[in-house]
Amino acid sequence: MKHVRIHLVVNGEDYSLFITPNRVLLDVLREDLELTGTKEGCGLGKCGACTVLLDGRPVHACLTLALQADGCQITTIEGIGEKEVHPLQEAFIDKGAIQCGFCTPGMINTAKALLDANANPSEDEIKQAIAGNLCRCTGYNKIVDAIHSCGCQSEKEKGEVR
Amino acid sequence: MSQLDIVGKSFPQIAAREKATGETKFVTDLVLPRMLCGQVLRSPYPHAKIISIDTAKAAALPGVKAVVTFQDTPKIKFGPRSEDWTIFASDKTRFHGDEVAAVAAVDADIAEQALELIRVEYKELPYIISPLDAMKQGAPLVHEDKPGNIGAEFKVEAGDVDRAMDDSYVVYEDHFYTNQVYQAYMEPMSALADVDLSGRVSIWTGTQIPNMMRMTYAKALGMSPDSLRIVVPEYGGAFGGKMENNIHLIAAVLAQKSGRPVKLVNTRHDDFLAGNPRVPMHFDIKIGATQDGILTAKDVKVVGAAGARLVYSQVIVATACYRVDSLYRLKNVRAKGYTVYTNSVPTACFRGFGNSQSTFVLESALDELAIQLKIDPAELRIKNGMGSNETSVHGWKIGSSGLRECVTKASKAANWSQKKNNKTPFKGIGLACCNHVSGNRPFAREFDGGSGIVRVGKDGRITVFHGESDMGQGQNTTFAQIVAERLGVTMDMVNVAQVDTDISPFGLGSFATRGTLMGGNGVLAAAKDAYDQMADIAADMLNTKAADVACRKAMFFSKSSSETKISFQDIASEATIRHHGAPIVGTGFYKPPTELPDPDTKKGNISPAYPFGCQIAEVEVDPDTGQVSVTNFVAAHDVGRAINPMATVGQIQGGIAQGLGWTLMENMAYEDGKMINADFVDYIVPSCFDIPDIKAILVEPIEPNGPYGAKGIGEPALNPTMAAITNAIYDATGVRIKELPVNPQKLLAQIQKLGKHVKE
Repeated sequence: MKHVRIHLVVNGEDYSLFITPNRVLLDVLREDLELTGTKEGCGLGKCGACTVLLDGRPVHACLTLALQADGCQITTIEGIGEKEVHPLQEAFIDKGAIQCGFCTPGMINTAKALLDANANPSEDEIKQAIAGNLCRCTGYNKIVDAIHSCGCQSEKEKGEVR
Repeated sequence: MSQLDIVGKSFPQIAAREKATGETKFVTDLVLPRMLCGQVLRSPYPHAKIISIDTAKAAALPGVKAVVTFQDTPKIKFGPRSEDWTIFASDKTRFHGDEVAAVAAVDADIAEQALELIRVEYKELPYIISPLDAMKQGAPLVHEDKPGNIGAEFKVEAGDVDRAMDDSYVVYEDHFYTNQVYQAYMEPMSALADVDLSGRVSIWTGTQIPNMMRMTYAKALGMSPDSLRIVVPEYGGAFGGKMENNIHLIAAVLAQKSGRPVKLVNTRHDDFLAGNPRVPMHFDIKIGATQDGILTAKDVKVVGAAGARLVYSQVIVATACYRVDSLYRLKNVRAKGYTVYTNSVPTACFRGFGNSQSTFVLESALDELAIQLKIDPAELRIKNGMGSNETSVHGWKIGSSGLRECVTKASKAANWSQKKNNKTPFKGIGLACCNHVSGNRPFAREFDGGSGIVRVGKDGRITVFHGESDMGQGQNTTFAQIVAERLGVTMDMVNVAQVDTDISPFGLGSFATRGTLMGGNGVLAAAKDAYDQMADIAADMLNTKAADVACRKAMFFSKSSSETKISFQDIASEATIRHHGAPIVGTGFYKPPTELPDPDTKKGNISPAYPFGCQIAEVEVDPDTGQVSVTNFVAAHDVGRAINPMATVGQIQGGIAQGLGWTLMENMAYEDGKMINADFVDYIVPSCFDIPDIKAILVEPIEPNGPYGAKGIGEPALNPTMAAITNAIYDATGVRIKELPVNPQKLLAQIQKLGKHVKE
């Protein structure tokens, strides 16, 4: 297969890559750039574990051709917090929203896109946003709680942890 | 017990920061130099004779480094319980997904092409999917040496069931079915295998049972156990599903043949086809009670589908036959269990281990008795529930039981009495209880306890070694809390080593809700040993006796005169200097006061502690579609003591979410002997919209045998969920659900038959 050259800006860094056009963004991120924080849970866009931000929008990296991302800004979980841990990450940690952690990168990326667009989402808006991100460990209560606590500081006490 | 600084407090998982930032290296993230990609060719038929396999074209494809079939394996029959496995199918395939061949290639594309080049000639054979059909005379045999497809039988009887049943005021009798569901851990099964120059094999994999797996795999590979090493990196969930599976062995065989490291990651489709999902079971139950609602007798027959080979299904069917008997003060019980081979995926452990299936059945039956007797279902449970210091019909010595407190607290929080008595059409409330174990004596024959190693380096850095498994539930954090508490240090000083069978103790693993109690007591014993060694040195430095020494917040001091304090790090440094470089190494083990059940009567105390729980669900049934939504959920669980309340609540909420999915959404469906919904497009697991707010209540009676009083919680979190929901559906509609999952069309038809269908 013929190779093509693409340019990606991933977590603020420029990459020039020579790839076959059939490769999905997920594999390029994980294999070529060794950014393994982005996970593959199903390969069919049904679990959300591979969610990354493409020009700020959450996309399934397993269904996105790397070619489609040519020239785009991509944020993966490794770039969410940059030097500091992002408040969303802090909330996921503190609220017990992480068990096995395999869904966490995708979940946090989806939540980040939501909060960037809507600083104070309702519980229903949070659920709308993360409905495509599966978690099999937590039962979602603590995840919704963690996202809610970031959006709405005054209601931070909502989450009851005993 | 003196004041606790660490235990009983909610700490985030010690690995949470790495997980939140994407730094954690899961099994599927691991890379070794020159690593190859492995892929498996699976049987497209449920039952077929293999006429020939031609791998020549695949082997000749550039980039392919190994192609393997049964002929490339040691051809040894093996298995964790029953030696009916081979690494690949030999003469015939026994299920859609059975392993036929595998390749290792330099990348996934080439591996995939190579699979397509393997030519297999099959002759299809008649197949059998239903275990009831498989037992019938003339049914096709899954294994020729297993007449009637019977994999195992189990029998238990205590008291005089027939007489007690005859003397009963009410008797309820019915048939129930619990279906096959998939664990759906988010990280599919995977393995990375490497072989060193001496032929020693290392396998990195997410497994709940690294040490027991090593023994089984050594046999399969024709090696001595010391030639095999299992390492357990962080991994993405298990819920019972990650025990022995052929894909680990295939990775090893590919690595042996290619001489290079091989990573094999199941596609989600393959994980559905050839993982080890829940054992589907048919139940015939008969249960009686007196007019006052005292349970008199229980009689069950269980038929479970093993699939094409026995993994743990026979033990799971046995568990379904009798574990739930120790929830109530039953005196007369009888059970017969059959584990039956079928041409479907081999079934095994999934949170609840048979007790979840039988709890659904018993707790449905109890509600039927309550209706007949006109007794409040909560009251019926309180009347019959096992209390502290009682012994059950099977000789189980219940140390602490918070069962009644669970019922009363859950009822109060859910506003049970008011909601139960004020009926709103198509809205209902339901309740169910559960029991479980904290470790199961007969699961491994040799022993059932736990052990640990606690190492303190010159810098005071503490490392805990255990042989259990943190599958994401937070076990490492629990162990760190126990060790930090015992040593008198802060949480940031304690690290937990990754399980590596070359280094870690021979732990049995994480199953049977045993981790916190067995592993926790093991690392507690090791911490005590390390502490005693350090206290001797501290006493010397503080000019006092060891008994007078204490350590809190990482400072050693004399209890009689707390003026001088020496830091934990200084004591550690001094110890290492005095011992010419040797670190403090504390080791210890816990031997539980359990006994192997009598082979005939099955009587014997199988666990050091028994958790209990009560869950209450509220549902709304759509009168036009039969769709059920769960609108509210309260769960009160007796956990002995919650070492980490936030993690414990997380277990409860997660368990309920899985139980809800099982009850209302999930089913592995077969057509023409093939699984037809083997991916997340067609097999839907709950999303955030399906799960209501779950209020978890922790009941803490402090278990005498638990580390700091703790019992387990993993499985009881799910055990009562199904019946709580279906009892609520009954309350809403008058329809008794006898088959999982709830089918909206069938439910609607039954509602209409009852004449309760009111259109607004």
